[in-house]
Formats: sequence, C-alpha cells, structure tokens
Amino acid sequence: MQRVVCHFCDTLHEAPAVPEGTAARCLRCGVVLYQNRPASLVRTTAFSLAALALMGIVHGFPFLIMRAGGMQTELSLYRAAHELVKEGSLVIGWGVGLCTIVAPLMMACGMLYVCTPLLFGRAAPGARVVARWISLTEPWNMIEVFLLGVLVSLLKLGQLADLEFGTGFWAFAALMVCMAAAVAGIDRNELWDRLEVAGE
Amino acid sequence: MRRRLPKASDEGLAGCHTCGKVAAVSEGRCPRCGGKLHLRKPASVQRTVAFLLAAAALYVPANILPVMVMSEWGDVMESTILEGMVEFWKREAYPIAVVIFVASIMIPLIKIVALSWLCAAATGRVKPSPQVLGRIYWFTELLGRWSMVDIFVVSILVALVQFGTVMTVEPRPGALAFGGVVVLTMFAAMSFDPRLLWDQLDLEQATDTIPALPDNE
Ligand SMILES: [Zn+2]
Ligand SMILES: [Zn+2]
Repeated sequence: MQRVVCHFCDTLHEAPAVPEGTAARCLRCGVVLYQNRPASLVRTTAFSLAALALMGIVHGFPFLIMRAGGMQTELSLYRAAHELVKEGSLVIGWGVGLCTIVAPLMMACGMLYVCTPLLFGRAAPGARVVARWISLTEPWNMIEVFLLGVLVSLLKLGQLADLEFGTGFWAFAALMVCMAAAVAGIDRNELWDRLEVAGE
Repeated sequence: MRRRLPKASDEGLAGCHTCGKVAAVSEGRCPRCGGKLHLRKPASVQRTVAFLLAAAALYVPANILPVMVMSEWGDVMESTILEGMVEFWKREAYPIAVVIFVASIMIPLIKIVALSWLCAAATGRVKPSPQVLGRIYWFTELLGRWSMVDIFVVSILVALVQFGTVMTVEPRPGALAFGGVVVLTMFAAMSFDPRLLWDQLDLEQATDTIPALPDNE
C-alpha cells in the first residue's frame, strides 16, 4: 500500500484510492491529503490552453483607456511593469512583471507541457523539472490581486478623468478564472503519481 | 491513554515538499522529483524570525514614506498608503477604503504578529492549541498575497497617468519598502514549518504523562 504524509502535522497514513470527486483528509489535523478529481488531466490541459489563448488577447488589447487634456493613455500588463522601470523603480517594475506576466505564463506553459503528453500516458522530456518549477512559481502568480488593483485604480481615477474599459480587462478576468480552474484541476499527488507511472 | 497516530519522522521517513512522495530521509534526495528531503525544514524558526524582523523594520518606512506623487497642473501631491485610504473614506467610498485598510495595513501587521506567535509556540514559549495555530498559519499563507494590491495600484497609476504637464504620477521609495514588507512576510510564512507545532504538542503530552500507565487500547 502506498503511504502519504500530512505536510501539516507529519502524520503517516496509508493511502487507498478514494472515489472520484472526493478527498482524503488527515486523521489528526483534518488537512486535505490528496484528492481524486474528475477528468483532471483533460481539465488542466484544456484550461491551460484557454489561459494561454487569453494571455494573447490580454497582451494585445488595453485594459483601461484614459483620456485627459486632449490626450489618451492605455493600460496593459507590459506598460504597468515597464513604466515603473522607466521611472527608475527597477525592483518594483520587475517584481510587478514577474507576478503578472512571467509567473502566469510559466504556469500555463508548464501545465500544458506536463499534462498534454500524460493524457496519452507519456511523460514529456524534462517533465519533472517543469513540474517542480510549476510548484515554485505558484505563490508568485498574482493575477487576481492585479485585477483588484485595476478596480481600485478605476475608483481612484474615476473623478479625475474619462475612463473606459478595454477588451484586455475582460480577457484578463476570464484568464483569472481559467488559471484558477487549471491549478485546481489536478491534485499534486496525482500529477506526480502519473509522472512516475509514465516514466521519463 | 490513547496512543498517538504514527508520525513519518518516527520512522525516519519524510514527505517530499515538492511532490509529496514518502521516502527515507537518509536517501537525501527525493527518488521521484529530486527535491531535497528533510524531516523538518532546516532552521525553520530562525529563518522565519529573521524574515519577520526585516519585515517589521520595513513596515515603518512602508507606512510613513509616500508611495507615489501626483502632479496636476504643477500642483504636487505626495501620498502614503494611509492617505490613499483616507481619501477614499472622505469620498464616502467606504467599501474600497476598508479593502485597502485590510489588505495594506492590517494583513501585513497580522501576519507579522501571527507568525511571531507561531514561532513562540513552535519553541514551547506559549502553549495554545495546535488546531487554532494551524488555522492561523493557513490564513496567513492564503491572505498574504492580497497586500500586493497597493503596489499594483501604484504601477497602474504610473502607467496610466502620463499626461505631460496636465497630470502625471511617479513612484516613490515608500512603494519599494511596502513591496519589501509583502515579499518578506511571504518568505517568512514559507520558511515556517507547521509540523513543529505538533512536535511541541507531542513533547508536552509525553512529559505530562511521565508516570505513564501501560497502554490499554
Ligand atoms: Zn495532518
Ligand atoms: Zn519529491
């Protein structure tokens, strides 16, 4: 029988397979140990693919368009990071770019790269390295926080100038949902079990 | 007395941080993903405390230094995080003022206090119930990221409000200090090992029952 350790309290459990759509919880502290999610690989692959497509739209169209004094500016993810760098705030500029552009891109590409071949029972070359990178990147993917930032900014500027939502904003909201669904689609233990079975 | 559930560390086993594989810690590296195996995160409390001290030191400049400056027709106005919140409050945008207050001022502070408390509990200085502490830990890990919202607001305003002499927004060093607080508290939460809380509990229960009766289950 395979065994599993609770990462929270270190209790050692036997790990029987659980029915689809349910989770096994730690006997001592109640934390979720592992889950069996329905159609996990298909879901993660599909949502990652959708997320990548949406990223294309997000980077192609502005989030907000602002007009003042006969001029017009546009907000995009790239400009939000780049203008800070241009103003001399290198560290924050790169940090913002990392959390809103690099991390989501790495996660979507990584999940697609690992999960698509697994659908056919194979492991892509270097899949283990990529899977490790996905879990390292996850805490730094902050698109949902950026979305809240857009809303706060909108309220802040609303009375100063003329503001308009762009296509990028709606694509970004959809991207947030797809990324969350892709990440929630597969259980870490299941992913690694499948990688182990598929071999490299 | 009821025997407690077996722990992986009792048998020299470790759950891999990255992939969850259970392997003997003597192997050094996880046979499945190659990650380093530890019974407990190394120097967890020391590292957490170090990150917390740095975060607490930056918390002051993060809140008193302006995070950005807005100039409108030559009128220059610097604003701190707190002033940004007060401005929303004055305009009667109460929900957004509350969101900013919670995300930017309360959450970092709660995280610093809560993690310090957890470190004290992990070293046996305070003795609360680990279920409660576990919940606090989970909460701090989940909420920490939302503090970043003010950094994003600065980045968005700097990108959008570029109208030459009419109106411009520029970042100020307070933003760097504030971002530092958020990132340092995130590192602190990542460095902390919640299993230490349960180890401490087991230790106390073991010493409480030293004249132990034979186990009758
Ligand atoms: Zn547990
Ligand atoms: Zn591993």
